[in-house]
Amino acid sequence: MTPNGVTAETVTRPAEPTEEVGQWAGQSVPRVEDRRLVQGQGEFTDDVWMHRQGYAHFVRSPLAHAKITSLDVSRALALDGVFTVLTGEEAREMCSLPFFQIAPEPAGKIEEWPLAVDKVRYHGDAVAVVLAETREIARDAAGLVEVDYEPLPAIVDTVRSADPDAPVLHEQVGSNVAWKGTYDWGDIDWALQNADNVVKIDRLHFHRFSSTPLECNAAVVHWDPGTDTVNVRSNNQMPMFASMVIGPTLGVASNRLIFASQDIGGAFGVKIGSYPQIAALALLSRKAGRPAKWTEYRTDHMLSAGQGNERVFLDTEVAVLKDGSILGFKTRAFDDAGAYLHYEPLGAVIWSQVCCGCYKLKHIRVDYTETLTNKCPTIPNRGYSRLQHLWFLERMIDIVARELGFDPVELRKRNYVQPGDYPYETPNGCVYDSGDLPRSLDMALDLIGAERWRERQRALGTGSGKRIGIGIGSTLDSGTNNFGQARIINPQLPFSGNGEAAYVKLDLYGEINVNLGTTPQGQSHETTAAQVVADVLGVKPRDVHVTAGFNQQQNTYVAFSGTYASQFAVTGLGAVKGAAERLREEIIELGAYALEAQPEEIELRDGACTVRDDPERMIPLIGIANIVYSNNAVLTPEMRDRLSLNARYVYTPPFHVPDPEAKTGNLTLTYASQIHACVVELDEESGEVEILDYAAVDDCGTRIHPQIVEGQVHGATALGIGAALYEAFEYDEQGQLQQASFYDYHAITSLDAPDIKVADIESPSPFTLNGAKGMGEGGGAPLHAICSAIQDALGPDDAVVSESHNTSERVWRLVHSGERGDPRGVTVSTRDSSE
Amino acid sequence: MLLESVAYARPETVDQALEMLSSTDGAAPLAGGQSLINVLKHRVASIELLVDISRLEELRTVQDRPDGTLEIGACVTYDELEHSEPARAAHAVLADVAGHIEDQQIRNRGTVGGNCCLSDPTNNLPPILVALGATMNIQSAGGVREVPAEEFFEGYFTTAVGEGELLRSITVPPLPAGGGAGYSTVAVGADSKALVRAAAMVRADGQIEDARVVLACVAPAPFRHTGMEGALRGSEATAAAVREASLVIGEDLSPPGDVHASADYRREMARVVARRSVWQAIEQGGGRRG
Ligand SMILES: Cc1cc2nc3c(=O)[nH]c(=O)nc-3n(C[C@H](O)[C@H](O)[C@H](O)COP(=O)(O)OP(=O)(O)OC[C@H]3O[C@@H](n4cnc5c(N)ncnc54)[C@H](O)[C@@H]3O)c2cc1C
Repeated sequence: MTPNGVTAETVTRPAEPTEEVGQWAGQSVPRVEDRRLVQGQGEFTDDVWMHRQGYAHFVRSPLAHAKITSLDVSRALALDGVFTVLTGEEAREMCSLPFFQIAPEPAGKIEEWPLAVDKVRYHGDAVAVVLAETREIARDAAGLVEVDYEPLPAIVDTVRSADPDAPVLHEQVGSNVAWKGTYDWGDIDWALQNADNVVKIDRLHFHRFSSTPLECNAAVVHWDPGTDTVNVRSNNQMPMFASMVIGPTLGVASNRLIFASQDIGGAFGVKIGSYPQIAALALLSRKAGRPAKWTEYRTDHMLSAGQGNERVFLDTEVAVLKDGSILGFKTRAFDDAGAYLHYEPLGAVIWSQVCCGCYKLKHIRVDYTETLTNKCPTIPNRGYSRLQHLWFLERMIDIVARELGFDPVELRKRNYVQPGDYPYETPNGCVYDSGDLPRSLDMALDLIGAERWRERQRALGTGSGKRIGIGIGSTLDSGTNNFGQARIINPQLPFSGNGEAAYVKLDLYGEINVNLGTTPQGQSHETTAAQVVADVLGVKPRDVHVTAGFNQQQNTYVAFSGTYASQFAVTGLGAVKGAAERLREEIIELGAYALEAQPEEIELRDGACTVRDDPERMIPLIGIANIVYSNNAVLTPEMRDRLSLNARYVYTPPFHVPDPEAKTGNLTLTYASQIHACVVELDEESGEVEILDYAAVDDCGTRIHPQIVEGQVHGATALGIGAALYEAFEYDEQGQLQQASFYDYHAITSLDAPDIKVADIESPSPFTLNGAKGMGEGGGAPLHAICSAIQDALGPDDAVVSESHNTSERVWRLVHSGERGDPRGVTVSTRDSSE
Repeated sequence: MLLESVAYARPETVDQALEMLSSTDGAAPLAGGQSLINVLKHRVASIELLVDISRLEELRTVQDRPDGTLEIGACVTYDELEHSEPARAAHAVLADVAGHIEDQQIRNRGTVGGNCCLSDPTNNLPPILVALGATMNIQSAGGVREVPAEEFFEGYFTTAVGEGELLRSITVPPLPAGGGAGYSTVAVGADSKALVRAAAMVRADGQIEDARVVLACVAPAPFRHTGMEGALRGSEATAAAVREASLVIGEDLSPPGDVHASADYRREMARVVARRSVWQAIEQGGGRRG
């Protein structure tokens, strides 16, 4: 038994180390990062202190939509200890351009500046920022900035916001539509006509929530007149994107805009979104002639740091044959991007990486509308844009099973992509690399003992006041994006492919140094990079020093660098492997030269080059380093010129540019699967949900470090359960955020989370250098597993679970929906077989 | 979330504390600070002087008297109450309630007196104290006056404690023969916002002889639901009878509705927690029928 109670038979152990896999990759070696983190020696942004720094505090709008009629900073400036105040208008004057927009016109005409100008568009929109001697004074001064607003009607509903008569957020756009388009693959009209059954689902709603990282956003920004550089020490997780957006706005060249970070206390995608604040801080620093330090308060974070996408699916129709084969579906999706487009509208294409989910659906039509509303801008939160769609697909499968009388397990297995189908091409040209979904499902059901629970469920009968439900969530985590998919949104965008860079060198005394283009937030890049390098160079991981954190002036990078979107194991470690191999070639060449042997005869192990079958002829790495760094006259001029013991490698995945017309292409390289199963008990009189059993089976290909993978699985599972039961960001009609602190936003804790049983299958990806797949985000399987179990516990006359967020009250209403005669939200039409 | 500057004093005795409280405008007692400091950070109250009473030994003991009465000092923390032997022996349910307030950090600092004097309608301790028929001992320069818990909690954030006064201790009478206590909550998650609470004390012997049923979170202060109490009295100590009695709760309540739950749901759940707490009390007292 493992500590999670998983019996050995159900767990696929990583392959025994082989020549190819190497000795260290695949082992759960102790994490390098842990020592400093558990001893309080990490360095987070708030730990950074600069001479003459001031503290920044943003002034935020209390209203969701209003004209700024006046803004008076005189009382704030009069407060002792205040250095300066920067207003939206001033910020605009200091900027060269508004932020770059990904959207095509008309939404591409949105003018967003570092601070709101003339108008505020959501509760929490920043209108000014104060710099002062202390945090306390900055906050007090922010309270003294007097802003007069003329309220405008707010719009918070994504479907209604697309109406022609809805109040418009950005006048120059003319409407609130950020992006609109139809995805149409196969022939859904044919499928619906020829299906034996068509299941119609009125409305499914995926709610807003976020990941609320332990550390909020933070930055210390110094516009340094001495070196004419802008130094940004922050916890932004995608600094190259931030740099590309704010550089042109600030009028600062990217070789003078220097991002750096060390430890980051969780990010989950949310910390892609701190670039507007960083831009405002740069201007503030420039105005004050001092570094500006900002550590976001939790309420500011909840109001304005970015929230996950909310999506509504209307009028869904699913085409199903008698035997349970599902031909396809159509739906109308409305996605709520909030008040400004931060990274959006990329979400409007990113869902299509998993357009058919785990299933062999051939005919799909999605009318997709992304809208602007008077709410906090969304940001790519863990599982970005795909978890909404995967939840929708899973709901669809369960509802079809229920309405047509199929066993949800059998229906899934029948429609899953089968192990023999890989590589499997989806209707939109994505290629699923590998996997075994039916076996994963069996494993998950075994882990929870599904049979036993089915019996308990039957035995429970009515009258006990309790109901048991068994639920499944089957999702994919698509990793390593092809950025060319941006062209499906906006054909003018000059983006495609992906990549990551790494740098490996042999140091003065033969030590090994590595630096990365990534900005990890708990994903243990230092540990796993050392494992990979150790295997290539024949040393131990502890002999490899991986630079902690990122510094644009010291580390190597490409424009895609950062830590986001489930890709490090593929792109980051691919780059590390490539760079280590380049270095290995140099070491071997130098070893052969020194030992007067042929390169083919050299073995690199235990920190030395040895001639095969002649172990007496050996030169340690210190000797190799010596030749290049301090003894180079022994080399030929040609070798001196060419060999540096410094190797850089950029890993690039084998992508092509997608077709924006057909909206097809290979949009992501790898597909990890998450098959979750759970058992819940519902209390009929209160709607309280208790999780009785929970299992997660992950397949992310070859695992470099199984324990790190397991940690990510636990985190993603807890987040999904929290979202399904507790966590929500909701706005009232006036656009006031209802959950702006942890008093009202109940983030899941260990007290709420069940024991999670985990097991793995390893289906190596044939498309990656190391067989690994990206997996950190997870596909949101728990969100559906919980909804599915709740549905399973309900009676046949009860309504379908149509919300991703199920509070006790909502469940209680569902439990009694049948007896109340509430609409069920679903209809079935069956083709007359005599026709 | 930062404090405005505020004066702070740590008196040596209760008398000194009372002197400071009555002689300084805008003075307020500081106990565990788990609510007061947050209130100050949010700047929804402004206070000139914090009189820290949390370390006054006179207020920090739990004592059991020979007659079985328990006296709990106002500055006893939740954690201390949870683990106090006399408290556990006399009122296990009360000790359990203390042991389930939020998280361990809050239980290490939050005090029984602070929990009562804050009088947040969702706080854990007030309803159980009312159900157990506790007495609140309020001290001023002039001496100590006793107020029944039932009258102590006056409304949202208001209690019977007046200017220049302190809650000194709480006395809880022993459970009567055949009596038991119960407590039930419907909340968001394991340790978050309470939507509705009920506490009960029931004396039964196959038949219910007496019942005190207290509801909380559904009104500005916890209150006894005399309708349900009346319906219980004299009825059989069975789950069905308790259920029947709970049905009198309903339209008479006007609970708040908010983002966590509607008023309707809270009203329905008031019945649910009422019967759960009554049933627990019957079980604990050993008086159930059959
Ligand atoms: C995150 C969080 C969640 C919480 N959730 C809950 C919950 O679910 N349930 C719950 O019951 N509580 C909860 N609390 C509140 C906590 O229990 C508080 O500790 C309690 O309300 C006040 O106790 P205290 O000792 O900290 O008092 P303080 O915060 O020091 O004081 C509270 C008030 O009482 C007054 N006061 C204190 N002692 C006396 C006295 N002896 N005489 C007169 N006046 C006095 C103070 O002047 C002040 O007005 C939570 C607190 C936090 C921080």
